[in-house]
Amino acid sequence: MLIPCPHCGTRPVEEFTFLGDASVKRPTSNDPASMDQWFDYVYLRDNPKGRFDEYAHHAGGCRAWLVVSRNTATHEVYGCVTARDYAKAGGKS
Amino acid sequence: MPKSPARPKAAAAPEIMLPRVSPLADVAIQGRFGADRGAPGVEFRVRHPMSIVTVIARQGQGSAVAAALVPHAPQWAGPDQYFVIAEGRGEGALYRELKSALDGIASVSDQSHGRVIIRISGVKARAVLAKGTPVDLHPDECAMGKSALTQMAHVGVHLTRVGENAFDLSVFRGFAESFWEWITEQAEEFGYMVR
Ligand SMILES: [Zn+2]
Repeated sequence: MLIPCPHCGTRPVEEFTFLGDASVKRPTSNDPASMDQWFDYVYLRDNPKGRFDEYAHHAGGCRAWLVVSRNTATHEVYGCVTARDYAKAGGKS
Repeated sequence: MPKSPARPKAAAAPEIMLPRVSPLADVAIQGRFGADRGAPGVEFRVRHPMSIVTVIARQGQGSAVAAALVPHAPQWAGPDQYFVIAEGRGEGALYRELKSALDGIASVSDQSHGRVIIRISGVKARAVLAKGTPVDLHPDECAMGKSALTQMAHVGVHLTRVGENAFDLSVFRGFAESFWEWITEQAEEFGYMVR
């Protein structure tokens, strides 16, 4: 699988460390009433078939945090943006 | 409360003149090794001692830092990050110069003792590097002066093209010996010189 790093160009997947679903949103409240949201955020993950946005750390390259969008069934890579740009775009790649 | 006595002014710290020893001093033995027919395909040289400084632009200051670094021939080392290297400068001199030049727009740190730069050159230099890195080093893709961050033999390497068939490989000091053993072994089939 080749990842098009926005900083380094196309690189093999071995250079990257994956952290998981990039689409989960951290709850903004510390209110005990929001515990259910926190439980979802910390523990619950979907396991989708198809397009999936995932955090990736380019440990073997620019050391930047990125979001890689790929198909979990075919490993087709749709794109890769910096985690900063992903967050600024409201969690969309 | 009695006033504590004024601290005596510290005398200017004496310049420490310890000779810097290359971490590869014991392994980078000069001479010819590996295949011994014809001209050696590869040549290695440990660039030592070097001044090596990392520069990381503060948020929003990327272009200001890039502009300020132009006279220093910076090497790209990640988004808004650079290495500046120099030969023959005094201990900490390059660091102090950049620190004051980039005051407020970048974080600057002296890595002179933390990294080792190995220069690999020769007609087979690219062939040796291709055994370790997926980075395309063809001149069409990797122009003179271009840098890339990559890994070879599990060691993080900052690679810069410095000539048609010459590259500087900068690695952490602690990995230098292991990296040296790996890369010289890769060069054995071509024969190599250590200078
Ligand atoms: Zn990268």
